[in-house]
Amino acid sequence: MAEPRVLIVGAGLAGLAAAVGLARAGFASLVVDQARAPGGAIHRQPLPGVAAHGLPAQRRRWQNLRAEVTAEGDRIEILCNHRFAGIDADGVALLTGERSRFIRPAAVILATGATERVVPVPGWTLPGVTTVGAIQTQLKTTGEPPAGRVLLAGSGPLLCAAAAELAAAGNPPVAIVEAGRPFRHAADALALPAGYLAEASAHLARLLLARVPIRCGMHLSRIDRHGDTLVARAEGGGRHLDFAVDRIGLHDGIRPNGYGAAGTTVPVALAGDAREALGARAALEDGRRAGAALAARLAGRPVPPDMSPALERERAAQQRLRRIHAHDLGARLVAIGDDTVLCRCENRTAGDLRALGGDPTDRELRLRGRFAMGRCQGRFCGEWVRRLQGDDPADAPLGAVRLPVRPLPLADLIDAGEPDEEN
Amino acid sequence: MARPPDYDVAVLGAGIVGASAAWHLARRGMRVVVIDASGPAAAASGASDGAVSVASKKPGVMARLANRSLAYTRRLAEAGGPLRGVFGDRPSYYLATSPAEEQALGDLVAKIAALGGPARVTADGAKAGPDGVGPSVTRCVALAGEGHMLGYAAVAAYLAQAGVDRLWPVTVEALEADDAGVTVSLTDRNLRVAKVVAALGTSSTALFPGLPVTPRTGQLVVTDRAPPGSLPGPLTAASYLVAKSASPGAPDKPPVVIDPLSTGQFLIGSSREEHGDCARTDFATVRRLAARAAEFWPALRARHVVRIFAGVRAAVSDGLPIVGPLTQSPRVVLATGFEGDGICLSGLMGREVAAMVAGEAVSAGAEADIAALSPARFSRREARAR
Ligand SMILES: Cc1cc2nc3c(=O)[nH]c(=O)nc-3n(C[C@H](O)[C@H](O)[C@H](O)COP(=O)(O)OP(=O)(O)OC[C@H]3O[C@@H](n4cnc5c(N)ncnc54)[C@H](O)[C@@H]3O)c2cc1C
Ligand SMILES: Cc1cc2nc3c(=O)[nH]c(=O)nc-3n(C[C@H](O)[C@H](O)[C@H](O)COP(=O)(O)OP(=O)(O)OC[C@H]3O[C@@H](n4cnc5c(N)ncnc54)[C@H](O)[C@@H]3O)c2cc1C
Repeated sequence: MAEPRVLIVGAGLAGLAAAVGLARAGFASLVVDQARAPGGAIHRQPLPGVAAHGLPAQRRRWQNLRAEVTAEGDRIEILCNHRFAGIDADGVALLTGERSRFIRPAAVILATGATERVVPVPGWTLPGVTTVGAIQTQLKTTGEPPAGRVLLAGSGPLLCAAAAELAAAGNPPVAIVEAGRPFRHAADALALPAGYLAEASAHLARLLLARVPIRCGMHLSRIDRHGDTLVARAEGGGRHLDFAVDRIGLHDGIRPNGYGAAGTTVPVALAGDAREALGARAALEDGRRAGAALAARLAGRPVPPDMSPALERERAAQQRLRRIHAHDLGARLVAIGDDTVLCRCENRTAGDLRALGGDPTDRELRLRGRFAMGRCQGRFCGEWVRRLQGDDPADAPLGAVRLPVRPLPLADLIDAGEPDEEN
Repeated sequence: MARPPDYDVAVLGAGIVGASAAWHLARRGMRVVVIDASGPAAAASGASDGAVSVASKKPGVMARLANRSLAYTRRLAEAGGPLRGVFGDRPSYYLATSPAEEQALGDLVAKIAALGGPARVTADGAKAGPDGVGPSVTRCVALAGEGHMLGYAAVAAYLAQAGVDRLWPVTVEALEADDAGVTVSLTDRNLRVAKVVAALGTSSTALFPGLPVTPRTGQLVVTDRAPPGSLPGPLTAASYLVAKSASPGAPDKPPVVIDPLSTGQFLIGSSREEHGDCARTDFATVRRLAARAAEFWPALRARHVVRIFAGVRAAVSDGLPIVGPLTQSPRVVLATGFEGDGICLSGLMGREVAAMVAGEAVSAGAEADIAALSPARFSRREARAR
């Protein structure tokens, strides 16, 4: 059997940069990604025959990184279409896909990116309502925007970015509903790094041209389906607006997604958005850092600091972005009615949570409330359960996130064979 | 001077055994407080399967007690009882794929006949299993009369009806019994009670260091939902019947139970490992469970694993639970060491413990079997050794 390699989960900016960092220090790695091709959230590759997308500077950044990976030769192996199911207490990692297998890596880097937050509103689970990221993915992989009238709602810079992409693809959204009031924070906005400003103005110019209205200080209070049409009500500042559309994208920021290695014995590191959701520029930088740091740790050399001036800059910029989009999340949550679904996996509502009464323990939230017991293990609903209870969402998810990372086909588990007993 | 008691009884541990005892005590009109270090069903009772089964018990004391508890649990689930809607009746199937396992099924049929109900054999033979059983199954025994309840649901049901005070998260740090009562030391204060029921599961040794109770972990797999009703009752490998009495380990073909939950999900369990780490799970063990389970029920291959978790059973050196008053301090009644059988035995044990606390006789006909569980058996052994 080959020398144990480092397992890197995620072939986005952070994962590939980490692989390069390790390779330059002499460590071989296996990079796994569940997607069809490397790229991650931002450089998601189009299906064959579909034109590449994205701003030229972004495309260049990706091509440069790919060239660095190629230059390392067989020190970096990339395995796509395979999903990391987790690494266990014995240091055995399970990869599933076309050929499911157990491996014993020397260490693991989780470069698994971020997932989107969506504040629950009545109707958010209706067909036709997805995250904004899902609409982007459809656009990036097929080159086609969703058909019909699209509404984007929630909060954060991704709303305008995605709307601009839709406009460029020929189907601008009917409106953006943004809970914050970003245009009232000129001072903060102007203090953003130049790259951010350039990107934002490019997006805004597109939206102006396509006459996409941006309704600030408003949020969706419910979504209903009437026949083939989704009707979304936006409220805020004492008024309301109704939108009749075919597709709704919701988005309230992103949160780190670094799960699956909590109970293991081998060294584990987080890189990119999986460590801290700081965006694409930081992901590249943080991947390089994580690769070099792990190499130092494995070689028994002093480990470099886990922040750099460049990362600090990105963190400051993200904080500024959050201030620009700040709004009263509490007011949105207080308005959540008993019939609002919190946990989509097990169809548990805010009313089910309130029915648990007083001060349920995490065990009771899980066992009696059935929160965090479904397919997502609380990674999506955990924050809202915590917040509705008045607790600090930093504690989310509820209790330990268990293996596997995602629902694991039982057949894949069986077909992976016995983990190698030696080694 | 000892102060008047705050409660008639303090039940330590809000697992299924403590909750059942609390309900039975409260029904006798006693003032009861339930104390738990974390909360209801925080340990084994919230991390287990819920078979209320006599088939899996070792012949003798355990099989007779389980049978009694099964019959009693069925009564507690009748209209007006605390377990109504929690305990459910269903068929159960025991499967063999080898001559040794077929032999074990033969023994099972004899054991069930000797117990005389409520469990009874409804079918026996190569084709006695439900539709969809795998082709390697050579013999199946189908039973009626056994049932299932989820530990946490039973705990919640007992406590909802009991009319008891609850105290959690509060750790009991020490007990001190005297002629007039027991002082229960909590982190921040003391409670004075007339009697104590200690139902602390694997943690019993923290308060009672000499007890021969050791942790034995079991890993379980939970799948996503199939259409409910695709499997009418649990499938149990006949090797499970043997394994319960044999020494633990990780054999190639582990004893496995496939339990269909009311949600349409399946619970596949469970391994036996000699440690007490409920956070430790490993792919090799659950893969062996899954592979064996799919041999019995091939449709499982189409399911997804949503969660792997572990629970810790309280195992006793001689394989019998520890239930009864302490020889030195009879005001303290122990109820622990139920290993893999506590859900099944909890109904009966709650009733008997309440009788002991009240100073009454245990159920007629069960005196000898309950006496066999007394903690005194260890002090006798110690005495002889000295
Ligand atoms: C929906 C969404 C939209 C965004 N849009 C923008 C934008 O417009 N502009 C911008 O600057 N930034 C955007 N970001 C942020 C930007 O994408 C990230 O900062 C950057 O891509 C992070 O890179 P990463 O390598 O850390 O993670 P990612 O690029 O997210 O890569 C993670 C990779 O891990 C893989 N993965 C995850 N789990 C597993 C598993 N269990 N097994 C195998 N593979 C797995 C995924 O398939 C993915 O390829 C967006 C983020 C999200 C979530
Ligand atoms: C994987 C697995 C599968 C199983 N399957 C079955 C089955 O199918 N059928 C069956 O009958 N049984 C089964 N069992 C066994 C059953 O779960 C246990 O026997 C039963 O739950 C034990 O209940 P208990 O109340 O004695 O203890 P526990 O449920 O362990 O409760 C003990 C309680 O005491 C509390 N505690 C501990 N120390 C202190 C302290 N110092 N102060 C205050 N509180 C304290 C704990 O927080 C805990 O809540 C299984 C067990 C496992 C692990």
